[in-house]
Amino acid sequence: MTSITISAIRPRTSILDKSLSKGKGEVSLSCYALLFSELVQYCQNRVYTVPELQNKLAEMGTEVGHRITDLLIVREKSGKREIKLLNALLFIKSTLWKCLFGREADKLEHANDDERTYYIIEKEALVNKFVSVPKDKGSLNCASFVAGIVEAVLCDFGFPAKVTAHWHKGTTYMVKFDDAVVARDKQLEDR
Amino acid sequence: MTIHNLYIFSRNGTLLYYSEWNRLNKSGITMEEEAKLMYGMLFSIKSFVSKISPLDPKEGFLYYKTSKYTLHYLETPSGLKFVLNTDNGAQNIRGLLQQLYSQVYLEYVVKNPLCQLNEPIQSELFKQKVDALIKHSQYF
Amino acid sequence: MIVLSSTWRDSKRHLFKFSQEMSRAGSRLDSKKVNSELFTLTYGALVAQLLKDYENIDDVNKQLERMGYNMGIRLIEDFLARTGSGRCYDFRDTAEKIQTGFKIFLGITPTITNWSTAGDEFSLCFESNPLTEFVELPDHCLNLKYCNILTGVLRGACEMVQMEVASWFVQDQLKNDSVTELRVKFIKRLEDAIPAGED
Repeated sequence: MTSITISAIRPRTSILDKSLSKGKGEVSLSCYALLFSELVQYCQNRVYTVPELQNKLAEMGTEVGHRITDLLIVREKSGKREIKLLNALLFIKSTLWKCLFGREADKLEHANDDERTYYIIEKEALVNKFVSVPKDKGSLNCASFVAGIVEAVLCDFGFPAKVTAHWHKGTTYMVKFDDAVVARDKQLEDR
Repeated sequence: MTIHNLYIFSRNGTLLYYSEWNRLNKSGITMEEEAKLMYGMLFSIKSFVSKISPLDPKEGFLYYKTSKYTLHYLETPSGLKFVLNTDNGAQNIRGLLQQLYSQVYLEYVVKNPLCQLNEPIQSELFKQKVDALIKHSQYF
Repeated sequence: MIVLSSTWRDSKRHLFKFSQEMSRAGSRLDSKKVNSELFTLTYGALVAQLLKDYENIDDVNKQLERMGYNMGIRLIEDFLARTGSGRCYDFRDTAEKIQTGFKIFLGITPTITNWSTAGDEFSLCFESNPLTEFVELPDHCLNLKYCNILTGVLRGACEMVQMEVASWFVQDQLKNDSVTELRVKFIKRLEDAIPAGED
């Protein structure tokens, strides 16, 4: 009888055998800044316009976001996700931010004229710390990458939203939820 | 005390940055020629210093002094060259040169992805930070 | 792009105001440090993107090396400024400085082993490595040198201090070896640039 090969590598210890890291490891800021700068330059060489570049950065942020959701839910929430919109946002402002950037985001605000829209505000975004945007790319905000992370986390929590990064009070992430999300949250509140 | 001017050269001799504060006499040649002369002089003096040195020269050439001014020199192991001319009152200015390297060049050129390392430095922010560091130093 | 009119600004209300103390208590990282998981996942996203963009895995390996080189020529300045170290006395000295560099930048200390008899080659062995924390290589990526960015960093950093080195992986934990071993070889000393018109 021949055995059926499923994977070419037969791991001695699988990644699942290792216990999950506590997330206390650190690398130097300059190292991260330079890696991020390579990532930005790579994306820049593959697009023509600033919005395209931002989309590409957001896309890559999304990849990070999906993975960080899994990690945080298992590690910080013992496998449970937030089901209230406000709690989900607070989770992002505090838990996610602390995990990624070592501190909470500066502010979380609700737009009064649009109940679907929230703002997460950060005075000095880590990814923008060393970037000085040239004049011909005025509106470029590399924090689009972080916006991608936030968007992925919210979507994975079951709160589909569009998240974009803007230059305002430092960096502001505009979170626009789908209508259905807001409607559902209201129903929850009514009960 | 007075600081006259500053040159920063890349490892292959490109003048990356020049700035002056109290420089009354001009050399009378173009900046390009002056930079070339300066770099050539540094190159020669360095090789002379290490050739003539009775012991392993380690850091090698540090400064020279004339009756009117002192030229201070710092070369990093990566070949960056910082040259600062001051009057003779300012001695032991090496710390300031180190600061220029680690607090200004490193933060605002090396970590700025938009600054190429071998080209003249255009960043406004860098210019401001150099100016601030020099003007606030005790030697200025 | 959003345009923030003053009415917009005035109309929004503050939902949550956390006191200064709370946000300060929330900060645990040194401002010069970054959580290694962010680093791990960002690098992972980059490698994943390269795999999508290039058809050939060898090209991905090359691109990672190039990116590493660009990082290396800048990281070395940070290293020199922080440590104040001078030129290396010999290649053993270099090995130790590279080890220190890993400690400073990635927070890990690879062991230096397997010196060649001529003293021009050594290995860096990694027990753990923040680049590969959550990584498993899928079968179609067996040729991928996941950490190849490191070889570029070494090449770039050493070149800036007048040394040409080559490095390559001889063992890789992602390919089921017990350690990850990076071999580093001294090629030659690079000479100072001679100014135009001098001999």
